[in-house]
Amino acid sequence: MKTAEALAVLDAALDTEVDQDELVQAAMQWHFSPETGTPFWLDRLEQLDFNPRSDVRTVDDLRMFPQFVDDLRYAPVESLLPRGYGGTAEVIGVFESGGTTGAPKRVLYLADWMEREMAGAMRAMDERGYPRGVNWLSLGPSGPHDYAELTDQHARRRNGVRFAVDFDPRWVRRCLREGRGEEADRYLDHVLTQAAHVLGSQRIGAIQAPPPLLERLARDERLVDLVRGQVQVITWCGTSMDPDTRDLLRNDVFPGIPVYGLYGSTMALGAAFERPATENGDSVFDSPSPHVTYTVVDPDSDKPVAVGERGQVVMHHLSKSALLPNNRERDVARRVAEPPGAKGHSVADVRPLETFTGVPVITGAY
Amino acid sequence: MKTAPTTVGTSWPRAGAVQPAVIDALVPEGTYRTTRRETVRDVAGAPLVELAQVPGLYVTRMLDRLRGSQASSADQPRALLAGRLRSAGSAFASDTLGGLTPQEHHRLVARATGVPVSVVRTATTTIAEALTHAVDTAERARPRAVLPRGRQHASNSGAVVWRRRGRLLGVNASGNHPAVHSLWLEALALGYRVAVRPSRRDPFTPYRLILALRSAGFADEDVLLLPCDHGVADALIHGSDLAMVFGGDETVDRYTGGWSRTPVLPQGPGRVKILLTGPWEPHLDAVVDSVAGLGGVSCLNATAVLVEQDVRGFAEALAERLSALRARPPEQEDAQLPCLPMAEARAVEDALRHGAAGCETVLGDVVAHDLGDGSAALQPSVHLLDDPMAGQLGLELPFPCVWVAPWSMDRGAAPLRGSLVVGVSTKDPALVDALLAEPSIRNVYGLDRPTWWLPPGMPHDGFLAEFLMRSTALAGT
Repeated sequence: MKTAEALAVLDAALDTEVDQDELVQAAMQWHFSPETGTPFWLDRLEQLDFNPRSDVRTVDDLRMFPQFVDDLRYAPVESLLPRGYGGTAEVIGVFESGGTTGAPKRVLYLADWMEREMAGAMRAMDERGYPRGVNWLSLGPSGPHDYAELTDQHARRRNGVRFAVDFDPRWVRRCLREGRGEEADRYLDHVLTQAAHVLGSQRIGAIQAPPPLLERLARDERLVDLVRGQVQVITWCGTSMDPDTRDLLRNDVFPGIPVYGLYGSTMALGAAFERPATENGDSVFDSPSPHVTYTVVDPDSDKPVAVGERGQVVMHHLSKSALLPNNRERDVARRVAEPPGAKGHSVADVRPLETFTGVPVITGAY
Repeated sequence: MKTAPTTVGTSWPRAGAVQPAVIDALVPEGTYRTTRRETVRDVAGAPLVELAQVPGLYVTRMLDRLRGSQASSADQPRALLAGRLRSAGSAFASDTLGGLTPQEHHRLVARATGVPVSVVRTATTTIAEALTHAVDTAERARPRAVLPRGRQHASNSGAVVWRRRGRLLGVNASGNHPAVHSLWLEALALGYRVAVRPSRRDPFTPYRLILALRSAGFADEDVLLLPCDHGVADALIHGSDLAMVFGGDETVDRYTGGWSRTPVLPQGPGRVKILLTGPWEPHLDAVVDSVAGLGGVSCLNATAVLVEQDVRGFAEALAERLSALRARPPEQEDAQLPCLPMAEARAVEDALRHGAAGCETVLGDVVAHDLGDGSAALQPSVHLLDDPMAGQLGLELPFPCVWVAPWSMDRGAAPLRGSLVVGVSTKDPALVDALLAEPSIRNVYGLDRPTWWLPPGMPHDGFLAEFLMRSTALAGT
């Protein structure tokens, strides 16, 4: 009974505020109890030098977890499904990381988490004045990536239809790694040609695209005119964008059309919309929800950095559907003051780490 | 995004200053102060200035637009253009530009690049003179068959007109020696727009140079400074009609290896060689000057000397002369040797040691001389080889570093292949003819002058006009 009460926060109604430490404790109970737990985590219990169910009480305590995400390159996806669902979980998909730093990592996306993530996304879009009832054009990967699913959900939940242009980021990265920039260029042109067909024949009110594709689009005057004439909001995501390019897009290329960044990670199962106001000219992203939080740490000492300092971004995901704590992302960022009451850090000036786990990072176009 | 014309001038770093100034991009709208900037440091690692980093989107959109029309100088009367270039030369040599006096400019370039300040000052004169003579130099390159400029009416029998191959020249500059910026100025005399990506080590020279050109009447959209990272540099080359690329073998190979759709004129290592037939003693001064003049950092400095008589005696005499050069911080008036950050100096030393494996070291067991502030002067080195075809003869390092090898008449011109300049002492006209007949040798000088002799009007690696212009048949119009 006590356990059931403690776990209730995992099922809290979408519009209620949850206590973050309560959420941490409930997630530990859920994912590490033999009855409800996640096989992936139960298998690793022995390797932990702490007891998650008694020792991990706060968001800060999540930092006790070792770097486990490399195991997600090989773990069977069945082991990621908590037993507590009793075989009734609705799996929306298995999604993979970009494979930027080696073999891709896999996560499961469950329907109950999708509801939570989308509730947050819709709230964020409402706050930023995203339109409803318009069609979306999404330039970005499908296949093993979560991008296509998420942009489809975005569009659908705002009563729009999503037009997709397919895009394989791993191929682009491979071209760049092999010094075949020309081939990557050709491929991006190929993608953009398809976008041109959609923009030229359909009514499009919103665009979502990775920065390099957006930049290509911005070079083509005909496409720029097609965007200016109908698009009401542009969202960039997938890789970082420098503030000068962002300002050019906002002020020179698409004046009057709001341009927002969306900073997320497949390994966090969630994304943050850019704060409406910049800080020192940089785009800022607040930890998107109690379930998905960021910590900026000194890469050498692993200690959280102070506001104003730069460090590596660590992401935590906690929900009934998944536990992905203390994952060092491939990004560096400056920590900025978080909104009052928020537990996770807020990040600005996000950039790719030069090298990560010894493998050079080729960010490519997504 | 756009800012008013630069008004910096109070914040250039001087001794004790803390706040570095910013070098803005120079763009059609005037200046562009980007949010993202890179810190340019001196050879000891101290910050000197912040350099704008122009984003790729800006470069591609702007170049796409500029390629669509020609420079406003394209149809100007030659006298007007010559006057503008002349006054730009005088402004560059004498005026305070972007808040920098020539003296401050020279000191900054010396501190940033490690090139001795006296060499930097001479480079300013070289650039000013190249501007003064740019129209004449371009005119010297005009084929005789071509009609003079401005007359384009062909007779029935046809005529030849000289036309630009494009409208916009992109320049990816290096920072080894400031006078690299004397090499693209003919493009302005030929009516090109020029967009320069400065090196991170010396953004100062093209910055003041382009401000000088603007002050002399060149339109803001005709002379551009676009500091940017490597990825955006690719966009700059791609977005230009034609491009000049300065750099080492790797850079030049990358841009000329079919990567770019843009025709690229490479400006790589010079691999300059000297050939001494007969007694070498009368030419020792010229050799020392060719090796160590200009601080030994130019592509026109001699890298190898081939000697017919007493090669060992020559190598030892050369070593003795070069060993007299003293290590000094680059901003000191008596500095003669180039300096680098300690780590880079050690890397050069390693490259030398690696390259010199199996050769006899005559001078330069230790090359990097610690100046005690995080920087090092690079002291000369002389190595003796036994084969004039040895690969080391092409190993060009950024300091007075020379390879000496024996030569005999039966070797002919073959060991001198692949040289920007061959300096030769010989009484044999057939040998000179053989050198001139070798296509990979660009210039041939006697040893009454150093190999880096290059007055205005002489081609460096051909006239730039050979790359920028083409002859077109015109008839019946």
